[in-house]
Amino acid sequence: MPHSENIILHAQGITKTIDTGTHRVEILRGIDLSIPAGQFVAIMGASGSGKSTLLGLIAGLDSPTSGRVMIDGVDITGLNEDKLALLRGCKIGFVFQSYQLIPTLTAEENVLLPHELAGGAVAAGLTRARALLRSVGLEDRLDHYPVQLSGGEQQRVALARAFMGKPPILMADEPTGNLDSVNGAHVLDLLISLNEREGTTLILVTHDRVLTSRADRIVTLSDGKVVSDEMQTTVADAAGGESRV
Amino acid sequence: MNLSWRTASRIAWRETRASTAKFLFVVLAVAAGVGALTGVRGFSQSFRATLTAQSRTIMAADLTARQFLPAAPEQIANLDQLVASGVEHTLIMETVSMGSSAMVPIDSEAATPALMSIKAVDPAQYPYYGTVRLNPPMALKDALENDTVAVASDVLIRLDVKVGDKLHIGRQTMRIAATVVSEPDRMSGTLNVGLRVMMSREAFERTGLMGFGSRGAYRYLFKLAPTAPPVADVRKSIKNALPDSLVADFRESNPIITRGLDRASTFLSMVSLIAMIIGALGVAMAMHAHLQQKMDNIAVIKSLGGTSRDVMGIYTVQTLMLGLLGGVAGVAVGRAIEAIFPILISHYFPMSIQSRWNVDAAAQGIAVGVLTTLLFTLPPLLAIRKVQPALILRRGMPEAKLPWRKRLVETRAALAIAALILAAIGGIASWLAESPRVGGYFVAGLAVSLVLLSLVASFLLQGLKIVLKNFPVRIPVLARQGLANLYRQGNQAQAIMVALGLGVMFTLSVYLVQHSLVAEIVETAPPGMPNVFLIGITPELVEPIQALIANTKGVEGTPEFAPSVAIRITKVNGTPFEQLPTPESGRRFRSGRSVMFADAKPDSIGIVSGAWWKQGETQPVVSVDEEAAQRLRLRTADRIEIEGAGKTVNALVVAIHRVEQMRVGSANEFVFNSAALIGFPATFYGGVRMKSADVGAFERAAYKQFPAVTVINVVEALAILQQVVDQVAVAIRFLSLFAILAGAVILAASVAGTRFRRVREVVILKTLGATRRHAGRIFSVEFLTLGAVSGLLGALLASVFSGLVLNQLLEASYSFDWKVTLLAVALTALLAQASGWLASFRILRQKPMEVLREE
Repeated sequence: MPHSENIILHAQGITKTIDTGTHRVEILRGIDLSIPAGQFVAIMGASGSGKSTLLGLIAGLDSPTSGRVMIDGVDITGLNEDKLALLRGCKIGFVFQSYQLIPTLTAEENVLLPHELAGGAVAAGLTRARALLRSVGLEDRLDHYPVQLSGGEQQRVALARAFMGKPPILMADEPTGNLDSVNGAHVLDLLISLNEREGTTLILVTHDRVLTSRADRIVTLSDGKVVSDEMQTTVADAAGGESRV
Repeated sequence: MNLSWRTASRIAWRETRASTAKFLFVVLAVAAGVGALTGVRGFSQSFRATLTAQSRTIMAADLTARQFLPAAPEQIANLDQLVASGVEHTLIMETVSMGSSAMVPIDSEAATPALMSIKAVDPAQYPYYGTVRLNPPMALKDALENDTVAVASDVLIRLDVKVGDKLHIGRQTMRIAATVVSEPDRMSGTLNVGLRVMMSREAFERTGLMGFGSRGAYRYLFKLAPTAPPVADVRKSIKNALPDSLVADFRESNPIITRGLDRASTFLSMVSLIAMIIGALGVAMAMHAHLQQKMDNIAVIKSLGGTSRDVMGIYTVQTLMLGLLGGVAGVAVGRAIEAIFPILISHYFPMSIQSRWNVDAAAQGIAVGVLTTLLFTLPPLLAIRKVQPALILRRGMPEAKLPWRKRLVETRAALAIAALILAAIGGIASWLAESPRVGGYFVAGLAVSLVLLSLVASFLLQGLKIVLKNFPVRIPVLARQGLANLYRQGNQAQAIMVALGLGVMFTLSVYLVQHSLVAEIVETAPPGMPNVFLIGITPELVEPIQALIANTKGVEGTPEFAPSVAIRITKVNGTPFEQLPTPESGRRFRSGRSVMFADAKPDSIGIVSGAWWKQGETQPVVSVDEEAAQRLRLRTADRIEIEGAGKTVNALVVAIHRVEQMRVGSANEFVFNSAALIGFPATFYGGVRMKSADVGAFERAAYKQFPAVTVINVVEALAILQQVVDQVAVAIRFLSLFAILAGAVILAASVAGTRFRRVREVVILKTLGATRRHAGRIFSVEFLTLGAVSGLLGALLASVFSGLVLNQLLEASYSFDWKVTLLAVALTALLAQASGWLASFRILRQKPMEVLREE
């Protein structure tokens, strides 16, 4: 385990309970998780195990019923929506199962958006946005709107967008879940290679064991609890480790 | 259809149960529309009832018949036959005569007689409507005995007598039992040029005033029992019984009030139609958004083996259910409105509401609710046919472009549906307004506006897209995103723009029309119009009287003087009057008329056709009142020959006019130029507005200086007329305000209805690091642009529409008001902004995960 000063994300005693009115559902029952900078962590678990909820909580997309979340040394538990948004803008990139592109914006504009929201200069942003789109193989799709793109292409735009703000952490929630195996593998390759190039901490939520084969560490959830947390010593891991040195 | 209606209903009900909140919105939209419709209609019916009651009061009867000769015994027998069918009648005789004080020697100066306007009634019957208020307060039948009279306070002042004193009238000496404070039909009577003296018919017989050859009028008042035949039928019967009489019913108690009433009625039905359309717009928006969200469900049902017809059946049942629910709720709302409105306006005037539950109105409301809901849901319902089951597999994919032939068929189908909807709305509108003409105008306005709005909106959005794409400078991301939201695929910007524009058009039209209408109605009895009249002023007295008025306390506004010349019409277009084929009602022109002359057009009349003459016109010309022209079959360019004071003048009819303001005693049926009446002896009528309390002092002063001039105080009588006019104005203003508010609410709701599509976008933006302020700014740009553009389009259309309505339906004038237009644009932008915000600010606070989890 890396030293504590390298911990980029720290979750402590997180619980999440939803009161539906008729009954209470305990989704997470006390999760402790520390992720050092640069690690590729896969969060696994069956459907309903609470993995997506956990991802939402550590990204500040939702607030826990109890427990604390620290991102890069900042305790986000007490922050308001706007402060969380600003924090996400500079610390976290997202890739969702269903792409979540803004339908009114072109591919290029979608990628540029986090940069513009953070108040960055357009010219500099455009160069990077185009470079990112080129690296996901969409240089000829800059002016296309999301509806004009296939699912795989949309997810590649989403990937480019996620890396746009050079976030230290990238969170991906079943990024290949909506894609066929060929497109899924392509997106995963891109995700991992971009991650290596940008030196980002990658947190990947999935139920697909194939995706986790290249992760440094696999955290498995079941019924709202961490049931296993193990480091992988695979070739892929070794390669990932080298690139971070 | 494979599914039975039963199964369809069950599935529809399950779905309704599952998303109560969204359906509540649809039901509320329908309820708001139906509520506005039934409420407005109920209120305007009550209001009309109140007004007609007042019109009856002004006439003191349901109908009157007036003639200048007593009815023959067989004619009276005919009238008596009508009693059996529920038509009562009573006779009023009116004449003018001189009366003097019996308290001073007959040859003393104080005994100078005054011109009296005598009214003989049967106090047991008269008045049928309204009351005669006396001072000291007492019943009319107690005041009017065989030897007593009730007189206007003018008489006491003029003759220097008091209640209890005696007067010489005709052969009789009569005791003054009371003063008349007000009599309901003071403005409807005949021979009103003297001071009011009221007595019983028995007393009148004893005065011997109505002897052979004396000038008098016989006015029969009729009252209809609830069981009586319709007014129009009774009118015919009376006309048959009394062929020489002028019959009028309460609907025309006063031509100006009648016009106000007619316009108010047309306007009120227009407002309820607009309430319906605005409500329907709300329904359409809500149902459209609702079905849009149901596309996934529809695809699922289809992929499970449901046919298009099954699905349409399910959603049609659902629509009907929602329409019915909304209709029922709306009728309850309408009922509440009907009950609350009179309370709200009780400050201005009391109004009794129809207490009984009106089943017809309720059924009508529910029917209209269900029909409009169904009509406006038709396009999305029919679109169900096109939903591919594959939708669930590839959501958010662009629709394949169909070959042009198929597109043409699709377009034709869409047009056919649109035509069907418009025709049905036209039908509903005609039904509600009880006039195919109004319905036609309405639907034509709607159709033209729809087409124009859609075209302009689509043009603008396309233009915006092109401009944004090719803009030389990169627009800041928030503004760009806000603007781009307007033309994005699947956005309803065009639909909302059309709906908003239409809503603005209708609500602003209501405002513009009511504004012009109220201005014209108020103008008919403007607050400053004369309430004291001076009669019999010789030309040389005009200046001294003006001087007296100038020195009198309590005078408001400028006194008016109008000349009156006695003439007789002898020929029309060269044909002697006796040989003219004039209708019965034209006969009264055979006797002498009082006419006036003026060189500049008096403010109180408006030109209907032709043109007023230029200053200094030397040829004899005349402008004729609309009604007189109709009776005499006169048109412009006709010629009339008149005779008076031994002179004959042949005048050219250059204009037909209409009396726009109430004027008492002025002879404005025929207005000649001054050159035409040179050499004719003229007297003048004077009119002055005075504070009620100061009239007595003025009357005394006037009598002292000008004993030959008669002063008539019509303060009370005028107050009644003004009250009616004010009530019409208040009711119109009030209903307009309501329609405008309802419009604003529905428009707000239509913007708010776009909330569902925003949720996801806000969440994505927030995940990418956007603060609430960022998202808020994006929305602001979108809402403000949408509001301003729709406001501008709607306001321009409203100008055209109100111009048409005013000119064509209400026969009133309209002029474009750019200030109102700009205000409308600003207000619509603000409304869109405010309602958009209200609907969205909760979204802004929402945790992103709450939305993402629904994936």
